[in-house]
Amino acid sequence: MITLSYKGKNAFLEAVNKKSGADVLECYQCGKCVSTCPVSNFMDFPPREIMQMIKLELKEETLMANSTWFCLTCSACSGRCPREINIPAVMEAVRHLAIEENFTPDSKQVKNIRKFHEIFLDMIKRYGRNYELRMMAEFNIRTRNLFKDMHLAPTALLKGKIPLGVKPLKSKKAIKKMYEMAEKLEKQNK
Amino acid sequence: MKEVSYFPGCSAHGTSEEFDETVKMVMKTMDVEMEEIPDWNCCGATSAHTLSESLSYALPLRNLVLAEKLSNDTMTIPCASCYQRMKATKVHMDENPELAARINTAVVGEGNYEGKVAIKSMLQYCYEDMGLEAIKAKVTNPISGMKLACYYGCLLTRPKAITQFDSPEYPMSMDRIVEALGAKATPFDFKTECCGASFSISDTDIVLQLSGKILEMAKESGAHAIVVACPLCQSNLDMRQHDIEKKYHVKYDLPVFYLTQLMAIAFGFPKAKMMFAKHIIPVDSALAHIGEVIEEPKKPVKGKKAVQAESEVE
Repeated sequence: MITLSYKGKNAFLEAVNKKSGADVLECYQCGKCVSTCPVSNFMDFPPREIMQMIKLELKEETLMANSTWFCLTCSACSGRCPREINIPAVMEAVRHLAIEENFTPDSKQVKNIRKFHEIFLDMIKRYGRNYELRMMAEFNIRTRNLFKDMHLAPTALLKGKIPLGVKPLKSKKAIKKMYEMAEKLEKQNK
Repeated sequence: MKEVSYFPGCSAHGTSEEFDETVKMVMKTMDVEMEEIPDWNCCGATSAHTLSESLSYALPLRNLVLAEKLSNDTMTIPCASCYQRMKATKVHMDENPELAARINTAVVGEGNYEGKVAIKSMLQYCYEDMGLEAIKAKVTNPISGMKLACYYGCLLTRPKAITQFDSPEYPMSMDRIVEALGAKATPFDFKTECCGASFSISDTDIVLQLSGKILEMAKESGAHAIVVACPLCQSNLDMRQHDIEKKYHVKYDLPVFYLTQLMAIAFGFPKAKMMFAKHIIPVDSALAHIGEVIEEPKKPVKGKKAVQAESEVE
């Protein structure tokens, strides 16, 4: 253990560690993750700072950061981390805690990213598979940006790059059931 | 004849149909019979693990359970994202039986997960199970003369604990395969950088920036084209290339091939079957290099002093 821990007072740190399976206290702030991360320049706090904020129990600031929403889970950081911390798992744990406790960063980009993922999961719930064209259309409608990527549409559609339909699953019911059960498990896990 | 289970993934029926088609050609040539997982579902991709831990395991787990009902001991997956989600689920379930039992309750009516099927990406299957020698032996139309930048992306070799394949920093398996086909793999530093993946739709600017750097480095390596083994990498580098050129005032004109398209060409399949019409950047300019002789850089000429020193030693 590198940094002092404040036993009993570190509820947020413990929650992140438990959820991620990583030990945030192992971080000695070298910053290799920041220089490696392809999207650190889009984050309001790069991974190194997020790690320190967790250690300092800055719960609200961490949960409100846009950083975890930009994480691509490309695992470049964890591959180079000299303390071998699973940083993407930490980022994911923080994001899941933010969702559970209804913290959403006040940023249009993050709202769009979240909306995209919700639509994607909705496609799977409905069809069992991703319906690409419909997903893109719904994203444009729900983010009120109807003409986004329209310049790609003629080539993409004419060339058949994006098909018009989807082959839905036979056992769609099993997927609906899975969504219900997953929601229950999520609640139990809180 | 070998047998293997096959998980095509959603994009195989969508943006990456040409990957799916050419995988089938390659497998046929290599005498491998593929059995598609019956009624497979989407793995959940980035979206499931972004929003819900349970769903991110449950969706792939259903496919793993379905795969166990087939008699094959290995399942191969062309899409890097599907591969990553399925392999991560397998590794975590095998490590933690209690978690496996809990998630299994969400996979209703399909039976229990036992963990007996190995999961390999298409690249890994070609490299490990087919082998370079066997691939080389099937080449009838070598693609010599082509210089190719092999782009692996982030999910095929990382994280090491999940993929357990090749190097997470500078992998060489795809380079070795294209060399077996007769082409030259260029030294390419951005092999495992991320292309921006699913931000393609939700935050396109990120993709333009990240994929732009990859195209820049590939061009700098002297490549005629990029080779990928991931549908999202392909569509980001190919479909977004004009947007990138426009934004950064550059011109790349780099076609983006699937590895299996090039394998199928080298195995003698007609170009008409590769579905090149679906590519946004036309591939002809790169294919025109087939048959050219690549001049190796000359060895440095020895100076007078070096020659003298050598003769003195003698």
